[in-house]
Amino acid sequence: MPDLLSTTLSALADPTRRGILARLATGDATVTELAEPYAMSLAAVSKHLRVLESAGLISRGREAQWRPCHLEGAPLKAVSDWLDDYRRFWDRSLDQLADYLKTMPRDEPT
Amino acid sequence: MNANADVAVEEAVIVIRRVFDAPRSAVWRAITEPKHVMHWFGGTAFTNMACDMDVRPGGLWRHVMRAPDGTEITCDFVYLEVDVPKRLVWKNSDGGQSGRPASVTTVTLDENGGRTEWKLVARFNSIADRDQAVGMGFSETISAGFDQLDALLKTL
Repeated sequence: MPDLLSTTLSALADPTRRGILARLATGDATVTELAEPYAMSLAAVSKHLRVLESAGLISRGREAQWRPCHLEGAPLKAVSDWLDDYRRFWDRSLDQLADYLKTMPRDEPT
Repeated sequence: MNANADVAVEEAVIVIRRVFDAPRSAVWRAITEPKHVMHWFGGTAFTNMACDMDVRPGGLWRHVMRAPDGTEITCDFVYLEVDVPKRLVWKNSDGGQSGRPASVTTVTLDENGGRTEWKLVARFNSIADRDQAVGMGFSETISAGFDQLDALLKTL
């Protein structure tokens, strides 16, 4: 069972799904509307939507006839935060490495 | 020292560049010998408690450190590529089971006028796995949709 971040990253690892999310960032949309930019069947688009939905990246209306898709920002935020943490860890490490290199013995045998 | 970092969230790739005022051989030793790594890995906020490195392809890097909040963290990595003194590639050996996404990290060192240009590229999880599986660079998997998603993330 992969962790939530990996599930989100996995769902994001496809250009069509990223395109769908980008479209949903401008407002809710139906499957038909989401399929328009792509040369693929509604069934294929629905498959991508299921991946996004199971990753929690979108939700779909239960009542409305066309079950419009809605972007859920929390998983994206979690991924963004994780990547920021990772970058900060290395930034701090490399700050320290730069300092350490100033005093590190240079001529010892390896 | 120059420093810049960019995070391409939509690609799940992080690139961190630095220039160190030290020769490449010194930087290489600083990142591949535990007695040196203990001095800098994690920065000042982390306390390094143990570091074992078997620097060869398939060799393990086991690192134990204490985070600022007191949590003890064990990192298990495995080296994928070792090209002394210019290229080091490793990944999480637990495949992300620790709750952190699996990543493949590549550090490239270039010497330029007695200074060393550092480039770290971290690729996360399924994207990295897929690239390895098909043996091609990440850029070839990139397609449309990034710019909008980048803008989207800024609004969150």
